[in-house]
Amino acid sequence: MKHPAAESTTVRRAQPVADGRDSRPEPAEAATGRARRPWWRHPAVVRAVAGLLILVIWQVVVETSGKNYVTRPTGVITVIPSVLTEHLFLSDVGTTLTAVIEGLAMATVIGTALGLLVGRLPDVRRILGMYVNGVYAMPIIAVVPLLTVWFGYTPTARLVVIVLEASLPVIYNVAEGARTVPRTYLEVTRIHRAPWWRVWFGVVLPASLPYVLAGIDLAIGRALIGAVVAEFIAAINGLGYYILFNVNSFHEDRAIVALIVLALFAIVLRALVSLVIRRALVWYRPV
Amino acid sequence: MRVVAGYTVGIAAGVIAWQLVGQHSQQQIFVPLTDTLHRLGELVSDGTLGGAMANSFATYAVGVLIALVVGALGGLLLARSELIRTAFEPYLTGLYAAPMVALIPFLLAFLGFGFWPKSLVVALFAVFPVLLNTQRGAQSIAPELLDVARLYRSSEKDLWIHVIAPYTLPFFMTGVRQALARGLVGMIAADIFLSANGLGGLLISASQVFDTAEMLATVLVVTAAGIALMAIGNLIERRFARWKVDQ
Repeated sequence: MKHPAAESTTVRRAQPVADGRDSRPEPAEAATGRARRPWWRHPAVVRAVAGLLILVIWQVVVETSGKNYVTRPTGVITVIPSVLTEHLFLSDVGTTLTAVIEGLAMATVIGTALGLLVGRLPDVRRILGMYVNGVYAMPIIAVVPLLTVWFGYTPTARLVVIVLEASLPVIYNVAEGARTVPRTYLEVTRIHRAPWWRVWFGVVLPASLPYVLAGIDLAIGRALIGAVVAEFIAAINGLGYYILFNVNSFHEDRAIVALIVLALFAIVLRALVSLVIRRALVWYRPV
Repeated sequence: MRVVAGYTVGIAAGVIAWQLVGQHSQQQIFVPLTDTLHRLGELVSDGTLGGAMANSFATYAVGVLIALVVGALGGLLLARSELIRTAFEPYLTGLYAAPMVALIPFLLAFLGFGFWPKSLVVALFAVFPVLLNTQRGAQSIAPELLDVARLYRSSEKDLWIHVIAPYTLPFFMTGVRQALARGLVGMIAADIFLSANGLGGLLISASQVFDTAEMLATVLVVTAAGIALMAIGNLIERRFARWKVDQ
């Protein structure tokens, strides 16, 4: 992750060297004949075949293992309609996803605030920095048993775990962004005698926004892990517990559907973040 | 001067806060730092901690090793073969997006809870950063470098040894750094959700009897391990970053 200030080198590199080299065909690409590709090399076909291959191997491995409770593609397909209409499943989807979104929102606010302070104020960095680093290096799973003692086997415990998991990458990235705000920006604010709140909210915060989003991007996966771990350990209703319960009662096919929903949710959230980066932060070009 | 003062204040504040909060809360909720360290000393001297660490880190080492080998080979394969890349990349991305802990119940049901399934969990947590970074590195080799090697009639083998491997190594090391950290998460998860022994087992057994001092002591050890692994990872990454072709 580089700051926009580091962009100049890339820009220089991207300019074609005036020796006609850029007109030569790309060696590897030209050799495979990208233009006249037979129909069976089309990406969509290749992907479909690979997907089918994965499903067949999965099915065969499970069939030969002789464990008839283990999930297999044909089993998953047959239960999808009944899972998707199951009331318990839908309410579990709702509670887990709501908790993850809530946790991400809280983590964004807490993480941005702490990150800006740690990044901009050297004294705060010296006092808090080591704790941020320490907690970031610690697997949050390790404190979940303790958190269940503190907050009980309740949805609050899950929310706390999600916020803990999600806020650390945000703090870390925002601190990095705030620390590396180009000095020239700050000099301009000084020339204009800008009051402190305009420096923080008008310059430092916007300059750190790409880092906030990079932090959220990292936080999404961690938030989902936090939700699932909390539900596993504390037996809180949600998609994670739905998976655990169904696997333990030999309904793995149903559990797989929940797993797929979790993965899809992560993919959609991350796609949203990258959409925001491309649409709202047009001025920022990630290096 | 101010720097030293800052760090001193930071440490002192943490220690005092831990001590005070511990003294003013119920034993089952939180205990003072001194009690935690006392319990840590007991765990060390009666061999519980040593045994748990040996157990956990054996799984960890094997799992991370599997992740490094599989990740490096898979990453190179994905980078060098366009066919394999188009075929499997979307499925790998999908698997990567799924929270790995959610796979644990399936693994437990299919493979049981011995040493190898636990190592597999560690490997699953750690493999993706290695794979993706290796792939990104190997795919980003400047065509000029390959052109020059071909110009000198380099054989495919020499091309790999002298161009692709050295170019990709720093990227791989970035993956190693991330894998070291994620593997630790996998280790604790495997300890907690598969056979409850090792450091994660200590956490679970302590939480069942509300032995908060033991939980906090174990968390301290795990955190220290995390910080040490992060430092090692950074060291390795920086050591090889010198090789990186400046771009």
